[in-house]
Amino acid sequence: MIQQSSLLVLFIKYVARYYPRILRLTFQHLTISAIALALTLVVCVPLGIYITRKEKLAPYVIGLANVFQTIPSLALLGFLILIFGIGNDNAICALFMYAMLPVLQNTYTGIRSVPSHLVQAAKGMGMTDFQILLKVQLPIARPVLLAGVRVATVWIIGTATLASAIGGGGLGKLIFSGLASIRYEIILAGAIPATIIALLADQCLKFLQDYYSPRNRAKRMAKKAEKLGVDLSE
Amino acid sequence: MTQIVSPENESDLDKGMVIFQDVRKVYDDSIVAVENLNLIINKGELVSLIGPSGCGKTTTLKIVNRLEECTSGKILIGGMDIMSLDPVRLRRGIGYVVQEIALMPHMSVAENIGIVPRLHNWPRKKIMKRVDELLEMSGLEPAKYRYRLPDQLSGGQKQRIGVLRALAAEPEVILMDEPFGALDPISREVLQNELLSIQQKLHKTIIFVTHDMDEALKISDRVVIMRSGKIEQMGSPAEIQENPATEFVRNFIGEDRLSQISPEDSVSVLVEDPWGKAYPDQSASDVLSMMEDEDMESIQVVEKRANRWAGMAYLRDVKRISRTGGSVRDAARRDRKLYLEEATMRDAAEMLADKAYPIPVIDEQGEFLGVITEAGIARLTIGRLKRRVTGGASQ
Repeated sequence: MIQQSSLLVLFIKYVARYYPRILRLTFQHLTISAIALALTLVVCVPLGIYITRKEKLAPYVIGLANVFQTIPSLALLGFLILIFGIGNDNAICALFMYAMLPVLQNTYTGIRSVPSHLVQAAKGMGMTDFQILLKVQLPIARPVLLAGVRVATVWIIGTATLASAIGGGGLGKLIFSGLASIRYEIILAGAIPATIIALLADQCLKFLQDYYSPRNRAKRMAKKAEKLGVDLSE
Repeated sequence: MTQIVSPENESDLDKGMVIFQDVRKVYDDSIVAVENLNLIINKGELVSLIGPSGCGKTTTLKIVNRLEECTSGKILIGGMDIMSLDPVRLRRGIGYVVQEIALMPHMSVAENIGIVPRLHNWPRKKIMKRVDELLEMSGLEPAKYRYRLPDQLSGGQKQRIGVLRALAAEPEVILMDEPFGALDPISREVLQNELLSIQQKLHKTIIFVTHDMDEALKISDRVVIMRSGKIEQMGSPAEIQENPATEFVRNFIGEDRLSQISPEDSVSVLVEDPWGKAYPDQSASDVLSMMEDEDMESIQVVEKRANRWAGMAYLRDVKRISRTGGSVRDAARRDRKLYLEEATMRDAAEMLADKAYPIPVIDEQGEFLGVITEAGIARLTIGRLKRRVTGGASQ
């Protein structure tokens, strides 16, 4: 009891004293994660779409992402020092390799799960391949795709704490220095913001997912139309 | 029949006229789907293509909007060779209704109807007006239905929207691929009547594929009976019924008309194409998601090559196998089947009374021919009752 309250006191004192540093590191953490996530999306969503059209490549590409996934994260970070040297580039690259699988896999599965008769009907109505992708396949695959993005986001934010092990920044710095000096309040000062960011990001994505679900969208459209109808009659 | 259209009289052609000239379609595996088809469909005519499964009727339809490309021959729509047009623009100018209905699940009713007008870049106001007009035409209150999603509609309503979607951009030619095949007998009849009344108002050129003789005779101006890629006979419903040209046509009408059907008759009349098929090597999880999408309780597993029947997989087995990551082959059972050569109506009815799943029909070589469903038997019975009534009244 005494120890717990003293940890709490120590934690509050630490935060009160070093909050600018914690904020700065949180911001850095966010930046690293955001860049890694953006990179993942920019590469893996198109790649996932591409392999739905080149079915033969799919097992290799997904297999490769799978391999990255299974390499222990610390080992991967250490290995990448050989290529990128020390610093955030290295960390971002490693995070990207980690987050590839869920995004790639879910894009691929999501698009493949679009019933083929819908694609055929869309084609029969005169959509181009790109319109089919944009108006039929991606919207129908969106829940699955977003689920993958959510997993990737949480992973990235969690794993980004390891970046400081190889000279990068982020909240990992606090955690590692806390571990080194056996000061739990510093570990907490790093771990709690990281957890909060991860949860918040996840919830934001979940909200987006719900907001744009067909049902809610249809409801909003109906409401808007109702309003317009009232306006017109006035 | 082979009336060749020369360039001089092209201008006389109505826009909605569809002409097939020596159309032939051979698939890569050298299976001939359509053989030297010559057919002229006049503007405003509703022509049914009918025949047993695999007779080339659906392929013929898909050649018109170039979902399939013909191997040789020509198709002219309004005097234009379709091969000279951009396939995307061609398709936007042709209405298309499919058996699976295929409403986009993420779009509201209004958006679904507005798909083709949007592809044509109509202004928003105009699309909205058109959608409301169409909904009203088929008796669906726009304010109530506009923003519904497809899964909030009944089967009959869905296909009604499917038909409206094909009409939306006011095409002259509409292709319908067994549009009412998946509906229950009552909705089917309602929609047939609606189609007839729409057709009376709008006079579109409609090519209608069906395997239901009653449907063809009821709605068409002209019936084209096809068999292994060729036209066996064509004519008005009355002509076909009064003068069947060949033994095949006689059987096809006779069996389907079934005034003298008995429980000991062959099941061949009842055999229809299944809703969906799976290949043995498909992973069970893929098949599972397809079955769940389509709300299927069971699926036929058929080998791609030679169309050999590999069994029938039930939803629960597919579910179980998908958890272990196996292929659908492992889920297939072979105990429920009928051989075309020996099965009678009575056998089929008894099996269906026992369990409601579709019954696969194969021949002695193991080739998959189709399924028999409860709906099929119900349709047959209703058709028979109807004829009894009308037959009695005319006497």
